[in-house]
Amino acid sequence: MSDVLLEVKDLKKYYKVPKGMLHAVDGVSFDLERGKTLGIVGESGCGKTTIGRAILRLVEPTSGSVIFDGVDILKLNKPEMRYMRRNMQLIFQDPFSSLNPRKTITQTIEEPIILANMIPDPDKRFMRVMELMDTVGLAERLVNTYPHELDGGRRQRIGIARALAMNPKFIICDEPVSALDVSIQAQILNLMKKIQREMGLTYIFITHNLAVVNHFSDDVAVMYLGRMVEKAPSETLFANPGHPYTQALLSAIPVPRIHNRPERLLLRGEITSPINPEPVCRFVNRCNYAIPICSKEEPGLIEIEPSHFVACHRVGELQKG
Amino acid sequence: MNMEIKKPNEQENTLEIKNLVIHYISDEEVVKAVNGVNIIIKAGKTLGLVGETGAGKTTTALSILNLVPEPQGKILSGEVLLEGRSVLAMSDLELEAIRGDKVAMIFQDPMTSLNPVHTVGDQIAESIEIHRKVSRQEALKQAKEMLELVGIPSERSNEYPFQFSGGMKQRVVIAIALTCNPTLLIADEPTTALDVTIQAQVLKLINELRQKYHMSMLMITHDLGIVAEVCDEVSIAYAGRIIEHGTLEDIFDHMRHPYTKGLFDALPDIGARRSELKPVKGLMPDPTNLPPGCPFHPRCDYVMEVCSQSVPENKWLSETHCVECHLYKDSNESMLKEVLL
Repeated sequence: MSDVLLEVKDLKKYYKVPKGMLHAVDGVSFDLERGKTLGIVGESGCGKTTIGRAILRLVEPTSGSVIFDGVDILKLNKPEMRYMRRNMQLIFQDPFSSLNPRKTITQTIEEPIILANMIPDPDKRFMRVMELMDTVGLAERLVNTYPHELDGGRRQRIGIARALAMNPKFIICDEPVSALDVSIQAQILNLMKKIQREMGLTYIFITHNLAVVNHFSDDVAVMYLGRMVEKAPSETLFANPGHPYTQALLSAIPVPRIHNRPERLLLRGEITSPINPEPVCRFVNRCNYAIPICSKEEPGLIEIEPSHFVACHRVGELQKG
Repeated sequence: MNMEIKKPNEQENTLEIKNLVIHYISDEEVVKAVNGVNIIIKAGKTLGLVGETGAGKTTTALSILNLVPEPQGKILSGEVLLEGRSVLAMSDLELEAIRGDKVAMIFQDPMTSLNPVHTVGDQIAESIEIHRKVSRQEALKQAKEMLELVGIPSERSNEYPFQFSGGMKQRVVIAIALTCNPTLLIADEPTTALDVTIQAQVLKLINELRQKYHMSMLMITHDLGIVAEVCDEVSIAYAGRIIEHGTLEDIFDHMRHPYTKGLFDALPDIGARRSELKPVKGLMPDPTNLPPGCPFHPRCDYVMEVCSQSVPENKWLSETHCVECHLYKDSNESMLKEVLL
């Protein structure tokens, strides 16, 4: 039996908007083993950020269940949930707006420790802050600096130190390197991998950057308009994408090479509205392979090879072609 | 600078920037944004200007239309020649005539570069009316044709920007830029704010239109993938200097500068998973306090004594390929071999 840390079942988050119900996340299920990384990729509006927030109950899910370490956290009351959140942390996308400009690095990192009253003694607490700063590679001399004095890479390191302060088991990283330059991006990704190895952390890594997700994740889930359309181990997904959307997404990435450039599958049109979606394939309007059944029934996830799931009516035929 | 090795025909060049130096000067500090940039764009060609935050890419682009924000921004020396004419010497009236007509610009963020209270048709027509001196009706008619050209049904010309998605707004911005059939199109990170599948559509559109109208283009980007897709030549910018320049082949297959190499190594490769990425160590230098000598030397794996003492000269390695690095003096053969391995 594998060691599952997080089990998400049929998670839904709908928002009421003037025109009806907006299906931000619409029935997503997955398991995540301890110490592994699940990458969630998709374009704007596909619901990837909402999944992360719903798992942490930062937005209240409409229905479904989230079982973390054997506990159904959607059934916890407020104090219990607060306690549970020590194990589950979040790293944000924008290191410029996710830090309080009026707090020094030390104050920012020690805030969660104070709130949880984990280390009441101020000297010991400061030692802990120094230890965290060392872990994420922030120099000791920066203890009293403010975020505006630091560059994006260092700010993101503060965000990581703050997330580590509670000794969590699980961290959701929501586009942690999207705001950073490539040379700095590589530094942060390497740091996050090192911390994962050393502390046995489990990650959900949310991003729109497929090259980064391939580098970083064990498994990858592809989202489209609130639905998971494909999930597979990274190598499988990138070598043998099953869903037409995944194929188009992969071929749309500009490759930094001038020889052997892959042929591009261009998608028609743009993402459709997630408000009151019809119970049909959500990708049908942009799909190059659509057949009549695609606009009649919604495809479910089918396991086409061990641990490779695809939600497409034509997956059998398309795989062969 | 050492441009004399390659002496191209003046007539062929749409844009020539020579030894440009731009600083932002305030009471407290001097931000050395551009420190001796040389750029040549040949007629009908696309140059990719690649670099990270603070490399001076956008300031360089702004100088082409003499739009460097005053009073802090000071063009201290250098020349900007547009089809042989000096832009920096032009009067306001002359500048007005070329802005949006001979030279058009596409900005990074389509959400903020359109006016929210005018219809998209009006915004495209405005530029036609000003530069082509046609009636309003004629301008609106042409605006509709432009919309069709960028793949938006002309019926939507009476709609407002908020009714358009991000990709469509960027198409509108492109339509505005192309209305007057510019000789030079400056695209400053035109697809950074877009999703990848939409980015693919927009890049395809830019490529098609560029070929159709034989435009020259300056493509500013941090994405080497985009460069590989649309550019003919590449200039790599670092701390306000062009540290390496060449054709796509020169840069992608025979990169010479340690920073260029670092940029490629830091990218996660979609085709091959590696256990660890190879970041460029350290940080971009502070433009108010640039290191002496080569600006890259504190981060460079091949640093030598001379690197902190003098700024390397621009060395042409072939007809098309030049690099600013002390490693490429003839005396450093042994070091050179190590880098090339």
